[in-house]
Amino acid sequence: MSLLLGPMCQHIPGKKGLTDHSDVKRLMPAKEVYIPLFAGNNSEVELLVNEGDHVYIGTRLANTKSAFPVPLYSSVSGIYKGTVKRPHNSLKPQLHMVIELDEDQEAVQAFEPIDWENASHEDLVEFVKNTGIIGQGGAGFPTYVKYQKVENIDTLIINAVECEPYITADYKCVMDYPEQFVHGVRILKKLAQVDRVLIGVKKTHPDLINLVRDEIKRENLVGIEVVAVPDVYPMGGERTLIRQLVKREYKRLPGECGVIVNNANTAILVARAAEMGQAQAKKYVTFSGEGLKYPTNVLVPIGMSVAEIIEQIGGTIEDVQSLKLISGGPMMGRTMVSDQIVIDRAMNAITILKDEEEPAMTCLRCGRCTSHCPMGLQPVRIANAVKMNDAAEMEKRGAMNCIECGLCTYVCPSHIQVTENVRKAKRTLMMKANKK
Amino acid sequence: MKYTFHVSPNLQSKNSTQQIMRDLTIGLLVVFVASVIYYSTAFGINVGLQAVILLACSLVTTFVCEAVFAKLKKKSVKDVITHSFGWVTSIILVMMCPMNITPYAIIIATFFAIAVGRLMFGGFGYNIFNPAAVGRAVIFASFSGATTRLVTSATPTGILAGSFKWLPMTEVALESYLDRVGGFGSLFLGTTPGAIGETFSILILLVGVFLVLRGVIDWRIPTFYLGTIFVITCALALLTGVQPYHGIPGWIWYPVLHLITGGVIFGGVFMLTDPVTAPTSPAGRIFFAICAAAITVLIRLKGNLPEGCLYSILIMNCFTPMIESALDGPQLEIKKKAWFMIACSAVLALCVSFYASSTMKGVKGPVKKTAQVVEVVPCVEEVL
Repeated sequence: MSLLLGPMCQHIPGKKGLTDHSDVKRLMPAKEVYIPLFAGNNSEVELLVNEGDHVYIGTRLANTKSAFPVPLYSSVSGIYKGTVKRPHNSLKPQLHMVIELDEDQEAVQAFEPIDWENASHEDLVEFVKNTGIIGQGGAGFPTYVKYQKVENIDTLIINAVECEPYITADYKCVMDYPEQFVHGVRILKKLAQVDRVLIGVKKTHPDLINLVRDEIKRENLVGIEVVAVPDVYPMGGERTLIRQLVKREYKRLPGECGVIVNNANTAILVARAAEMGQAQAKKYVTFSGEGLKYPTNVLVPIGMSVAEIIEQIGGTIEDVQSLKLISGGPMMGRTMVSDQIVIDRAMNAITILKDEEEPAMTCLRCGRCTSHCPMGLQPVRIANAVKMNDAAEMEKRGAMNCIECGLCTYVCPSHIQVTENVRKAKRTLMMKANKK
Repeated sequence: MKYTFHVSPNLQSKNSTQQIMRDLTIGLLVVFVASVIYYSTAFGINVGLQAVILLACSLVTTFVCEAVFAKLKKKSVKDVITHSFGWVTSIILVMMCPMNITPYAIIIATFFAIAVGRLMFGGFGYNIFNPAAVGRAVIFASFSGATTRLVTSATPTGILAGSFKWLPMTEVALESYLDRVGGFGSLFLGTTPGAIGETFSILILLVGVFLVLRGVIDWRIPTFYLGTIFVITCALALLTGVQPYHGIPGWIWYPVLHLITGGVIFGGVFMLTDPVTAPTSPAGRIFFAICAAAITVLIRLKGNLPEGCLYSILIMNCFTPMIESALDGPQLEIKKKAWFMIACSAVLALCVSFYASSTMKGVKGPVKKTAQVVEVVPCVEEVL
């Protein structure tokens, strides 16, 4: 806490105990998977298989033709049955490829592994581009893009913080594959061409910290360090993590201050791709929240329907009228009105909460949103500008910088949807920018 | 299962405005009870009861005003009363008034505080001025004669302002002042006459620490308010050459005297921190508190009023919107501007010391009670 700024973060009860001690459940869909053909807005997709084709785990299914092209690989083996429109966690219905599972679940090598220790930087970037790996932190940004220009980068940060309440998928995944994780970190270190790698882990997970430290020691690695970070939200946000670990600030992207941040799970995917030639097929997903009878982590193929997973793990609680189904954690995840959505590549949790809400009261101007905002914004002032419908003020007050972490709503004692007010300001500003 | 839509985030802390106000009410009542106990033991049980009667009158007026407001706005009376927290205003207002005030004066003051100070602006959360301060200003301006004769001894603030012009320069002068008010000890403990709640310096500070820990008030406001008063008066003591007292240098005892006499601790902890009327950003709050401190000391030393806390709060309240818009924008980007504003306010505060030191003549000799005329002013003198 400094004099002119508040704490810019807040401890939130993690509720991780609901899922972090139980074993991961390995589930398979009974009949079909639906692989979303969606990679950001206005992205076109080129299909590489025809209806009726037999595909295997690792068969390349499609290429997306957006600004940053990403290939898609099959997560199961079976017969490709064509595309269908289904609800998607982008809130709009999207095309999904339907694959009917066969019994064998045969895998093929998606691509040739690479001798990453001796590969050149260009080859390695090209390799990662070909693997179709996207950031596992939630935003789903293609991983290779971050490593295209690394001249000014001096630090790589591996984000294993997982600050969202309820979610334990990353924790489980790294606990299960510490060796692959450390290999992935080494590959990313080589990609970033840096001497210093910091792995951020919450200090409330000493088992994970020790496990990774032992693994680093076993391989005699230098320049890779595990750092315990405080259990506050949004410590897993890039900006807060960079502030905590290297005490730097930046305007838009971490690259501006010489830092690349990647998620722990991304490192594991990179290691698997480089060493075994495997594309991302399965995913650790936390199914948690008070709305579920038996919260647990599951390991499922990409494209499995959420409704089917909920059914297989024991269903939701029954004595209520309605629930909230959140794709992601309760803070940044979005509520879905349909459980027909499927597990996508960057999704790491489904949180189901009771549908209760405290009524909002008048703002008492306590300033908690201002002192807790990790971006240093003043949400109460932005909300005022929204009330006045003054776009110039919204811009001046920095509404566009908002990362929508939701902390302002969380801390508000008057139970006002502060984040939504800031989102309104962002929408107003974006509409204005589009008109020009 | 039906899944409902809701904007994210879907998690909210257990904090609530009700909880904040409950903590604040508890804090205020602790001080109020201490005051009732002190007045009952020092002046008799009927004086202690008078405080309770005043509070009851004020609370009833508040609830009546809010009920009428609710009816006019066609809202549920219960909702309006429980969501506007008028009782906090009532308690603060009563605690700012001296014991001698008549119940009808407090009723009218409460009416102004609630109806004019708050409801006319739109109710809780919309008022510009601290409503309790508005009510107190009404009493001060219009009801200075409306007093009973329950407590007739002069208050430390009155004596210090009247006989010593807020500047006892020598050991003898301070000695003669302390003789009449019971020494530093009673000033700290609050066992002196004054406004009902303002004298209990140490107790109020303890309550303040509790409120800061509970997240009810921002530590920056009382710290910078009282800190600035300390610095200004410290500089004044150095500039005018206030003499040591029993070995304690003048630049220490004189600022302490300023802090524990009068209502600055009460004002700094309970009134300036009112979130509705203070700026929302930490930088704005620091600026706000420093300016309020400068105005307080200026009124004390150079104004006609014995105390400056009340008006410093009201004056700074009207600057709140301006401070807010001056400090709009991402806080990390406007940091420089914020430091510049705070530096300006600090210079302004020091100017008060220089101005006062160059124009004031301190009291050098002892002042005997019999020589006093000033103290016979109406007993509503110790404006917070």
